[in-house]
Amino acid sequence: MQDKIRAKARELLETGTVDCVIGYERATDGLTARPVFIYGTAGVDRLVFDQTCVHNLSKFLLDRRDKRTAIVAKPCDSRAINLLINEGQLARDKVYIIGVVCQGMPEVSWNRVSKEPQERCQRCPQRVPVVYDYLVGEPVEALPVTFSDVEQMENAGPAERRGFWLEQFGRCIRCHACRQACPGCYCSECFVDQLDPTWVGIRKDVTDNEMWNTIRAFHLAGRCISCNECERVCPVSIPLSLLNRKLEKDVGEFFDFQAGIKAETVPPFATFKKDEHLKGVE
Amino acid sequence: MSQVIAREDLSRWLNSLMEERTVVVPVVVGDMVFFRPVAKAEDMTISRGNATLGPKGCLFPLSHTMFTVEQEDGDVRVIPSSLEREMVVFGLRPCDAQGLAVFDLPMLAEPADQYYRERREKTALVGLACAEACAECFCTSTGGGPHDARYMDVMLSEVPQGYLVQAVTEKGKKLLAKAPLKDMAVQAPTPPDVPRVPTDGIVAAMRRTFADKYWSRLADRCIHCNICSYVCPTCYCFDIRDYQQDGKTHRVRSWESCQAPGFTKIAGGHDPRADKGSRMRQRFAHKLLYFPEEFNNVLGCTGCGRCVRYCPVNIDIREIISDVQKIGGG
Repeated sequence: MQDKIRAKARELLETGTVDCVIGYERATDGLTARPVFIYGTAGVDRLVFDQTCVHNLSKFLLDRRDKRTAIVAKPCDSRAINLLINEGQLARDKVYIIGVVCQGMPEVSWNRVSKEPQERCQRCPQRVPVVYDYLVGEPVEALPVTFSDVEQMENAGPAERRGFWLEQFGRCIRCHACRQACPGCYCSECFVDQLDPTWVGIRKDVTDNEMWNTIRAFHLAGRCISCNECERVCPVSIPLSLLNRKLEKDVGEFFDFQAGIKAETVPPFATFKKDEHLKGVE
Repeated sequence: MSQVIAREDLSRWLNSLMEERTVVVPVVVGDMVFFRPVAKAEDMTISRGNATLGPKGCLFPLSHTMFTVEQEDGDVRVIPSSLEREMVVFGLRPCDAQGLAVFDLPMLAEPADQYYRERREKTALVGLACAEACAECFCTSTGGGPHDARYMDVMLSEVPQGYLVQAVTEKGKKLLAKAPLKDMAVQAPTPPDVPRVPTDGIVAAMRRTFADKYWSRLADRCIHCNICSYVCPTCYCFDIRDYQQDGKTHRVRSWESCQAPGFTKIAGGHDPRADKGSRMRQRFAHKLLYFPEEFNNVLGCTGCGRCVRYCPVNIDIREIISDVQKIGGG
């Protein structure tokens, strides 16, 4: 895989198809990977690809909107690229997608890699990127979507759920890394940074933290592509994927929609039809 | 002869301190460790390595009401907040205590930050020497060491008989007045080896690297979250906002970070550090250039390694120090 990615990157840079390749290189722990921007053929051999390449690189494309860029994309990352194209943030012809087939990634943090695949990967239906210009790896069949984690939360009573979330949000230090890592969070002025009016205060307490986390989750309803970057980067391990997946499940049931699968389909909250009814709701 | 506290006596001692003081200890939550006040010492965990968040929040809280303003019958009253009980922070590591010593330089310089000063004066630090070095730490390259007791009030080192106790300050001696200590002939443990980072001459090298394109390339992969600042034992930037609640106005101070987009945005909308590279350089220049230039060559980094461990994209200060030495070395 790595050799194919390097060869393609070399070709793209040599022919001037792109000015930069965004991929992965080895991190300083000698074990995991980190994002890398390669601007010339001399740097191509820094590129790696293995089970530690967990980051979703697609958000970096927003730093290079008007420049021709190649990017290494796993299936979930490719859905983020579709989301950004769909929402008018990226032009398809500026991006060259080196898609990689994915069998699920382990839990990866600095100097640590789990043996088992991440939970979210075990539930992820996509094994092949939904959009690519060049595919690395043998295509495999997509799996069914399952929401057993969300169902478990749904079955808990309201008081239990509230207790659980207040404890989680109480720990939040409001570093906003979830937003910074999220490909769907690209507002030039986030509601949390608004001063006039102030939507959410700067105070780091459970009330403001709850506002921050729930409003951010709602802004991603029908838009979250389940890459789980928010949860991966969270330094205090708040299980944000549970919120996101609950919304993904609801949007799937009500609107028969999954974000980022096709760049052309207008997402449910970007459209309004007068006679529209939610499935199963009178 | 040395003074030793047995393992089973440690909780007894901490519980006795709780009668008059708030005692903050490392507490395990999932796979994380936080410093939290506890009602009984048995709730603490003495784990290897560094806590997820150090004890800086005890002295410089994540969010803190500085004062409250009340209006009654045309009178306006300003009620400053204050710390009622004295506090003991137990189980912090030398790098975190050194972090507080770094805090002291700007925070206690006149005019001192009164909120920090009050907490600092009312807090005693009971440290734990590190029995082993973490993979990411480098305290011996930043003026400290795994057994450095200089910034503690009491220092404990693990020995087979319990903990070797060293009263470092008068405040520490007072804390130990009723501690169940035993006199024993005990050898002090040898400090572990800590990986080195080439910090000699880093201030001059940073100055020479200031205008290099290195910073913007490095910032390519930075996502500009605030994790590095918030886990850092020496980062002290804050923001202040007023809150209206229950008919009163509360002035609240909260942690903020130079890495956040918009941190330096000023009235009129101009942002002198709008690009990722200059924000990234600011963080490292503050630690390795401006701070030592301002404060007698003291580095604004204590080598705790948390930013290395928690950065989601592996921006590694150890690698940056080595790179800057190569680019700007004399």
